[in-house]
Amino acid sequence: MNAPQQPAVLIVEDEKEIRRFVRAALEHENCRVFEAATVAEGLLEAGARKPDLVVLDLGLPDGDGVDFIRDLRGWSAAPVIVLSARTRENDKIAALDAGADDYLTKPFGVGELQARTRALLRRQARAGDGTSPEFRFGEVRIDFARRIVERRGEPVHLTPIEYRLLCVLAAQAGKVLTQRFLLREVWGPGSAESSHYLRVYVGRLRQKLEDDPAQPKYLLTETGVGYRFQP
Amino acid sequence: MPLGFPDRQGHIVRNRRLLALQDLSPSRRLVLALLACALTTLVALPLHGVFDLANIVMLFLLAVLLVAVALGRAAGVLAAFVSVLLFDVFFVPPRFSLAVQDAQYLVTFAVMLAVALITTHLAAGLRREAEIADASERQARALYEMARELAGVLTAEQADEVTRNFLRSHFDIDAGLWLADASGELQPVGAAPQAASAELVLARVAFDSGRPVNSGEHAGGRYASAWIPLTSPMRVRGVLWVRPLAADAQTLYSQKTLLSTVASLVAVVIERLHYVDVAHASQVDSASERLRSSILSALSHDLRTPLTALVGLADSLVLLEPALPEPARETAHALRDQAVRTSSLVANLLDMARLHAGQVKLRREWQPVEEPIGAAIKLLRPALGDRTVRVDLAPGLPLLELDAVLMERVFCNLVENAAKYSPPGTPIDIAAELGGDAVEVRVCDRGCGFPADKSAVFGMFVRSESSQPGVGLGLAICRSILEAHGGRIEARDRDGGGACVVLSLPVGNPPAIEEESE
Repeated sequence: MNAPQQPAVLIVEDEKEIRRFVRAALEHENCRVFEAATVAEGLLEAGARKPDLVVLDLGLPDGDGVDFIRDLRGWSAAPVIVLSARTRENDKIAALDAGADDYLTKPFGVGELQARTRALLRRQARAGDGTSPEFRFGEVRIDFARRIVERRGEPVHLTPIEYRLLCVLAAQAGKVLTQRFLLREVWGPGSAESSHYLRVYVGRLRQKLEDDPAQPKYLLTETGVGYRFQP
Repeated sequence: MPLGFPDRQGHIVRNRRLLALQDLSPSRRLVLALLACALTTLVALPLHGVFDLANIVMLFLLAVLLVAVALGRAAGVLAAFVSVLLFDVFFVPPRFSLAVQDAQYLVTFAVMLAVALITTHLAAGLRREAEIADASERQARALYEMARELAGVLTAEQADEVTRNFLRSHFDIDAGLWLADASGELQPVGAAPQAASAELVLARVAFDSGRPVNSGEHAGGRYASAWIPLTSPMRVRGVLWVRPLAADAQTLYSQKTLLSTVASLVAVVIERLHYVDVAHASQVDSASERLRSSILSALSHDLRTPLTALVGLADSLVLLEPALPEPARETAHALRDQAVRTSSLVANLLDMARLHAGQVKLRREWQPVEEPIGAAIKLLRPALGDRTVRVDLAPGLPLLELDAVLMERVFCNLVENAAKYSPPGTPIDIAAELGGDAVEVRVCDRGCGFPADKSAVFGMFVRSESSQPGVGLGLAICRSILEAHGGRIEARDRDGGGACVVLSLPVGNPPAIEEESE
């Protein structure tokens, strides 16, 4: 394992100038950065460097970024941030379903990239801590042991499905979760056609847990892709 | 004109069933009938006294039958009378005079005449039927040949030629096709027969009514032509003009069934040609559509990559160690902002191109309207700074079937516009309520409002007269997206100053939500 102070990040991106500023941004975050320009090179580097995080462009000259993720997921759990164009929601969903953790829409700023990287590395570090019996965000507290949700100290009544949905979201906090994933986790397999249920239940959770349900702070919509729980 | 019809190689095939006798003129047939009667008399004369007279009568009856069969009704009737006469003169005593000795022969004459006439009638009827059957078989075969030729034609001109040749050579009828052009005017396909303007009116009548029009009825029979509509399964495609070459209006009338059959054959061919054209045009269309879409995606990739690098590189200037002096940092920020703006402009242009090319396929899913609203506000939050956006949604709004990505774009554009054209610090208000069979969403600001001509703001490249930057594509994109959803968008003045953009989104049939049992 690398020193926890200096996480290793692999950038797989064919455009040199984009690699350059991504490297600058990540080195500023105290990361050791490795670069690759193709899928093949990326897989070699990933094998050799054992990165703690991968920043991956989806449109690579020698193949699809999604294939890279599948390959990587065979032996590594390192978080993957995908770089993709707006209007290519299907590509993003495919990448997320293959195991990517987050995506950035081009063009993106350095600040955004650094924030996402930090969140994922933190999550990665926390993953080893074991599950805590309690989860807090904003004024909300989830007590997993007693299956109780409180807001401002008052108990909030959640239906079983609402509670299950909240637990799935909280377990993957910070990560973009595709509709398909959430439907499968909460409603079970074979529910992919009832995506409106997911939207309705997310709406109800917002009503119960958010200050302004129409402008949520925690239960965020990733338009065309799914949802993200941002504690 | 030879009887028969061209076979596939163009040879004239004679119908074996038709005897050469049928080519004879009526007067010759009568002469032949007389000759036949004379011949019978000559044959019978030596038998006089040997045979009974009753048997001689039989010979004459046989002759009448043969004449009737071979030469037709008129010849048969003549032969019947002449036979009775000859029998009386040459065989009934007193011979060689019309007088009759024994009155019982009058009965013989009467019976003989009756039998001869009835035989003639029956034989001629049979013959007529055979002729009719023969003619309709010929007609059917000719039609079949024509249909086969029409099946192969590739242009309206060829169809015209085939029809023309067919009617001319088989039925002595002159013909021509008139087809409706793109504007619905009738135009002759081939060499147009000189038609009086009155006739063109008739063509129009036939075309519009879908019924054949005979000009004889209208023009006192001088032009015995007719216009027959070409009625195809979809619509009337034109008219078939026909005129008998032998100036005999009767011909057209007797060939009515044939002509309407020809017209419907031609109509089907014209329709087929029409759809060949349509298919060809759509092939060309889809080829240019593919080209356009590949240009669009290449363009969007080629522009996005350098813009991404530009935004990121400008941003990373701030990270340099040692830190840049303040003016340089400001320049870096300005660079970044300009690059971000260029990129959103490119995105707008590409979206507009895609929407206009009809390439955007909506991915509609049932969802509450606050989903795209919330997502848009979150996306714009960094650009909005600390400006308040108030969202007021009526309770119990139905789910709407929306393309979330496109509707997010609509709300982004509207909120961005509202922020751009209203003083900083004033809030932006979004409200939604159910009105009839649509959900009405209003995005309002406290800015300078819209110009007087409000419908114009949704046009392309229209922008406010103020000095705010931005190419006026935002509202045009919103309108295209709304229209794709079957909704409407409208600009209004706000009570108390400011602008409102009102969207109405159709409710449709939202799926039921089954409540869980607790």
